[in-house]
Amino acid sequence: MPKRRDILAIVLIVLPWTLLITVWHQSAIAPLFAIRKVCHHLVKEILIIPERLTIHRQRLADDGTETRHDTGPATDSKEYCSQDKDIVEVVRTEYVYTRPPPWSDVLPTIHVITPTYSRPVQKAELTRLANTFLHVPNLHWILVEDSQRRTPLVTRLLRETGLNYTHLNVETPRNYKLRGDTRDPRIPRGTMQRNLALRWLRETFKSNSSQAGIVYFADDDNTYSLELFEEMRSTRKVSVWPVAFVGGLRYESPKVNAAGKVYGWKTVFDPHRPFAIDMAGFAINLRLILFKPQAYFKLRGVKGGYQESSLLRELVTLSDLEPKAANCTKILVWHTRTEKPVLVNEGKKGFTDPNVEI
Amino acid sequence: MRMRLKLKTVFVLYFTVSLLGLFYALMQLGAGQRCDCRDPDLSKDQQISQLRGELQKLQEHIKTSELSKKTDVPRIYVITPTYARLVQKAELTRLSHTFLHVPQLHWIVVEDAPLPTPLVTDFLAASGLTYTHLYKLTPKDRKLQEGDPSWLKPRGAEQRNEGLRWLREMGSAAKGKEAAALEEAVVYFADDDNTYSLQLFEEMRYTYRVSVWPVGLVGGMKFERPVVEDGKVVRFHTGWRPNRPFPIDMAGFAVSLRMILSNRQAQFDGDAQMGFLESSFLQHLVTMDDLEPKADLCTKVLVWHTRTEKPKMKREDALQKQGLGSDPDVEV
Repeated sequence: MPKRRDILAIVLIVLPWTLLITVWHQSAIAPLFAIRKVCHHLVKEILIIPERLTIHRQRLADDGTETRHDTGPATDSKEYCSQDKDIVEVVRTEYVYTRPPPWSDVLPTIHVITPTYSRPVQKAELTRLANTFLHVPNLHWILVEDSQRRTPLVTRLLRETGLNYTHLNVETPRNYKLRGDTRDPRIPRGTMQRNLALRWLRETFKSNSSQAGIVYFADDDNTYSLELFEEMRSTRKVSVWPVAFVGGLRYESPKVNAAGKVYGWKTVFDPHRPFAIDMAGFAINLRLILFKPQAYFKLRGVKGGYQESSLLRELVTLSDLEPKAANCTKILVWHTRTEKPVLVNEGKKGFTDPNVEI
Repeated sequence: MRMRLKLKTVFVLYFTVSLLGLFYALMQLGAGQRCDCRDPDLSKDQQISQLRGELQKLQEHIKTSELSKKTDVPRIYVITPTYARLVQKAELTRLSHTFLHVPQLHWIVVEDAPLPTPLVTDFLAASGLTYTHLYKLTPKDRKLQEGDPSWLKPRGAEQRNEGLRWLREMGSAAKGKEAAALEEAVVYFADDDNTYSLQLFEEMRYTYRVSVWPVGLVGGMKFERPVVEDGKVVRFHTGWRPNRPFPIDMAGFAVSLRMILSNRQAQFDGDAQMGFLESSFLQHLVTMDDLEPKADLCTKVLVWHTRTEKPKMKREDALQKQGLGSDPDVEV
């Protein structure tokens, strides 16, 4: 019969160790493992190198001569994996991308959050956006679909680009009371998707504050210069710059005084907003996002043009803003909008093949 | 007796050690919560300049990467007519980002202007692409006026012809290896507001005469395409006037440079009826039988006829009237 004293002794020995282990596990080790898993997952995704480059290179290596091949697109994922098996082993130790620039251990990662939704021009928009992002080193694209499920179109597109990405989705609730299938008009478009991405970042980079990163909200129809990404990389808290074609003007811009501090906003539409700036006109340091885990875009009750303020006012004050783009005198991002394509002929001559993806 | 004593001390020691360990862990946690957002400026600036240097290195690496070393693939000459408007720089910027990924691409930009503009000149110089900058002003009677619908007059005909003229001039002057390279080259007409996938350029690279493929979001339909049977184009699936000789969009075909050099009279007819611009050029070169179908026998959409909205300038116009318009020196 075990004595009561012995049982007490055993319990008292085991208790502090279990406490220690659970607490330690929660704080330090889990994020590391999670990051490693995420990284491994990212690395695997990165390795689906666009088939043109690899197939072509392989053929050149084999033949030595340039022969004309009708290389059909390799849509079968098995083909990807079998060709890249060797490269997979190499990349496990270091990040190496063929089409995106080589990953640098020194540059802060730019996490680009893009909400998107299905419409005829979606694939085109994402394609040309990806073509721009493929030039930016250390870019992590967080694409959030406004849908119930992640669509095959976007899944395939992301995989084929070769970019470092994370694919999320959340559906904005629809307002069925209105005619048709319109979404809840009280929630500005893209808000839930951006918030989901913020939450993902906070769950992935929990307390591991040594991860240098910048968060940027990029809509899928804007135009971004490559210089913009290098300007935002040195953000300490929140950096700002001018944006073209917003607010009914050639461009809107923060007002910067001689000391290099932001003191106002050069806009016509409600310049007295706390942050009279477009979504594409600022970037936030990841550390700040993690440090203020309650800061999100306000979902409801947001007046037009105040969405950006609803997030920024929880993170910084006006004096903390860092002006970029030569003290806010250069335009590095354009708020372009794509026309809705006229599809009047769709019903007339018989529907176009729905199996062909556009 | 001695055994029990030893066990007791061991137990006590064990207990204290674990407690200490727990406290240590809690302290670690507590330290982690504090955000070190304020960094000493000096060391950060150093780091920033180090990062910038690293970035320069990476960018150089990109520019001189395998793409430029790849000289053994046929060259693609892309002719883009362009004209000054608010979104011009944005369109050219994102277009250049696509072209930078394509090996052996030579961009021929033809401005609808009496002289080359500084915006386009500076832009091309900084783009990192191989380019030729031309200009040709559309005569007033052929030019769309403010308020005209976009379909009233064909656009870009003079500029594309100017591009063809330059190619023919270059073709005549070329000798030796350069002439051999031109034998295999391909010419593509790319408008500055469309969207091109990278795969498209690989599809068109090997064109013997004229190759064709589907174009998305054009002709009032999700896509227009040549219909292929037994590897040959038999008709065109299009929503608008299918009886044209070539009811195909400018973005839906590419012509081998050889054909252009050997058919000097092939031009775009600036007076052609709307929708017949492409036909006015192609009918000098090929018949439907000779067309080479690409993009998986014309079943995949690799190019989209996107159009960019004209940005609303109501407030800007109002400010201009008051003399308070935005700084015109800031290039948009």
